[in-house]
Amino acid sequence: MPYLFLGPWLLGAIGLTVAPMVVSLYLSFTDYDLFNEPQWVGLDNYAKLFGDDPRYLQSVGVTLKYVAWSVPLKLVLALAVALLLNSLRGKGQAFFRSAFYAPSLLGASVGLALAWRAIFDTWVDLPDTSLVTIVLLSAWQFGAPMVIFLAGLQQIPRDLFDAAAVDGAGWWRKLASITLPMLSPVLFFNLVLETIHAFQAFTQAFVVSGGRGGPADSTLFYTLYLYERGFTEFRMGYASAMAWVLLVAIALITAVLFRTSRYWVFYGDER
Amino acid sequence: MEAHKIVGLALGAVLVASGCGGGSSANGQTEIRFIWWGNDDRAKVTTEAVKLFESRNPNIKVSTSFQNFQNYFEKLSTEIAGGNAPDVIQMDYRYLNEYAGRNVLLDLTPYVGKEIRTADWNAGFVGSGELNGKQVAMPLAQNATTIVYDPKLFAAAGVAEPKIGWTWADYKEIAGKIQASTGGKIAGSTDFGGTEDVFETWLRQRGKALYDNGKLGYSKDDLKAFWQLSKDFRDARATTPAELVTTLNAGAEQTPMGKKLSASEHSYDSLYGGYNTVRPDELKLGPYPSDNNETLGSYRKPSQLISASARTKNKDAAVKLIDFLLNDPDAGKVLGANRGLPANLKIREAVAQNLSGANKVIFEYEKSVDAKLGDAPPAPPKGDGAIYKLMQRKHEEVVFGKKTIDQALDEFWRDAEEALK
Repeated sequence: MPYLFLGPWLLGAIGLTVAPMVVSLYLSFTDYDLFNEPQWVGLDNYAKLFGDDPRYLQSVGVTLKYVAWSVPLKLVLALAVALLLNSLRGKGQAFFRSAFYAPSLLGASVGLALAWRAIFDTWVDLPDTSLVTIVLLSAWQFGAPMVIFLAGLQQIPRDLFDAAAVDGAGWWRKLASITLPMLSPVLFFNLVLETIHAFQAFTQAFVVSGGRGGPADSTLFYTLYLYERGFTEFRMGYASAMAWVLLVAIALITAVLFRTSRYWVFYGDER
Repeated sequence: MEAHKIVGLALGAVLVASGCGGGSSANGQTEIRFIWWGNDDRAKVTTEAVKLFESRNPNIKVSTSFQNFQNYFEKLSTEIAGGNAPDVIQMDYRYLNEYAGRNVLLDLTPYVGKEIRTADWNAGFVGSGELNGKQVAMPLAQNATTIVYDPKLFAAAGVAEPKIGWTWADYKEIAGKIQASTGGKIAGSTDFGGTEDVFETWLRQRGKALYDNGKLGYSKDDLKAFWQLSKDFRDARATTPAELVTTLNAGAEQTPMGKKLSASEHSYDSLYGGYNTVRPDELKLGPYPSDNNETLGSYRKPSQLISASARTKNKDAAVKLIDFLLNDPDAGKVLGANRGLPANLKIREAVAQNLSGANKVIFEYEKSVDAKLGDAPPAPPKGDGAIYKLMQRKHEEVVFGKKTIDQALDEFWRDAEEALK
C-alpha cells in the first residue's frame, strides 16, 4: 500500500530522472550526433576532455572562478540583509523581506538577464569584466538564502542574547559568539545548496553573453560549453561525458563540505 | 452517471491524443509546421504569404514560428533530435551539409521540375540545393556580400562612396578619414576580422575558396594576412574598438551600424531590410573593396534555402507549400526581396517592375554588381558551423590582446581541422 502512494512520484523519478541519466551515461561512451545511431567509443570522450580540449579546461576555470566569487558574496549579502531584517521586528519586516526576495523570483528570467546586459553594456563586452557582471547578477539574487537565514535567526533563543548582554557583550561579540554558532547549521545548508546551484548556472551566462560564452570565452560556463557541444556541434556523446564529470565533481565537493562541517557546524545538542 | 463521466474522459483523451499527433485529423485537414529565422518585418510578409497559401488550400493548415538566426539552429537540432521535426524548414547554406549529411532532410529530387516548378529558374541556381546528387533543399532567394554604409558620414568627411574598383587600401584610408572627421566617435568601418563571410569574399578575390573537397581551402598564411589586414585597420584608427566585436552576432539593430557607431559595415544585401528598420532611408549598399580587377569575390549565394523534413508525414502538403513560396506570383509579390532576389526569374522580373523602399535598394545593388558576381561554391562541409564561431572567437582573443595573431592562428588551425573530422 505505501508503494501505491509512492507510485506517482516513483514513476516520475524513474521515467524523468533515472532513465535519462542511465541513457546519458551510456551515451557518454559513444559518438552520438543526435540523428543517427550512437557509435561506441569507450573512454575516448573522457580522455579527450582532460587531455586534448583547452576550451574544456577554460570552462572549468571560468566555472570555478564563478563559484568561488558568487557563493561567498551571495551568502554574505543574504546574511547581512537577514540580520538587518531580523532587527526590524514588526517594523515593516514583512514588506522588506518580500522586497529583497523579489529579485530572486525574477532570477532565472531571460528578461532580467537582458536588462542586466543593457545596464552593464560596456562591461559585458570586455573579457576582463564580463564575468564580474554575472557574479553581481547572481549575488543580487540572494533572496532564497536570506529567507532561510531569517528563519534561522528567529529560532535562536532570546535568553542567550539577554544573558550575554548582562555579561557586557557588545553587538560584534554577540554575532561572533552566539549568532554565528547558532546559525551554523543553516549557514552550512545554504552553502551546500548555493554551491550546487552555482556549478549549474546557465541562464544568466547564456543570455548575458548572447549564448556564446564570450567575449573571448571569458564567460564560457561549464553548462554553456556542454550545451554548445551537444546542441550546436551535435556531439551529444561528448556533452554527456561532460555532464557526468560535472555530476561527480559536484558530489565530491559536497562530500568535502560535509567532511569539514564537523569542525565548524554546531548543532546545539553537542556537549 | 459515473459511466457517463468515464466515457467522456476517454473521449476527451482520444481527442487530445489525436490533436497532439499532428498530421491529418478526422475532417480531412492536414496540418504542417513551417519554421524560419528572421525578424519582425520578415515575419510580417511570411505570415501573409502563408495565409494566402491556406486560403488557396483550405484543407492544409500551416503553423509557423520564427527565431533569430542565432538561436534558430539550436532549436531546430533539439526538435529534430526529439522526433518533433517541423515539416518545412528554412535552411542555411552553411548548415546544409550538417543536416543533409545526417539524413534528416527529404530528398526533393523526384519533385523538382514537377510539383516544384523550375522552368523559370537559372539551372545553376537550382543546383545550389543539391548535395551528392540529391536535391536536399531549394534556394529561396539570392543574396551577395556587400558593404552597407552611411553616405552622410562619407560626404561629411569628403571621401568617395564605395564603388567598383576601390581597393582595401582605399577602404582603410577612407575609413580612417571618416573616423577622424567624427573625432573618433563613429568608427570608419566595423571590424571584419572575425567574420568568415568577409574572409571568404577576400579569399575569392585571391582565387581561393574556404573549402576544397571538404578540407580547408586556404593556408595559414592566407588567414594570417587577413587578420593582419584587420589589425592594420585597427592600427590606422579606421575601425571599431574591441568591445564592439561581440555585437556582430545579433540582429542589425545590435551591430555597430545599427547603433550608429560605425560608418560602414560588411553584411549581406538581404539584411538591408533589418538595417532599414532601425535606420530608415539612411543607409546605402556598395560593393566590397577588391585588389583584383576581375572579381569582387562576392557570389550569387542562396540567401536561404527551404527543405522538408525526411520524417514528415505530409510530404505532399510540404512540397506544395515549398512550391508556393518559390513559384506563386502572388506569394512572390508579398515576399518581395525580403529574403533577397527571388529565385524564380519571372517573379524576380515582376517584383523588379514595382520596387520601393528596401527592396529597391537591394535590387539596384545586385544589378550594379551582377557582372562581377561569381557562381556559388559547393555548400560548406559539416563542421563549418563550428569553424564559423571558432574564427570569431580566435579573432576576439587577438583583438582583446589575449593572444598574438600567430598563437591564435595555431589554435584556430588545430580546432578547425578537428571540426572537419
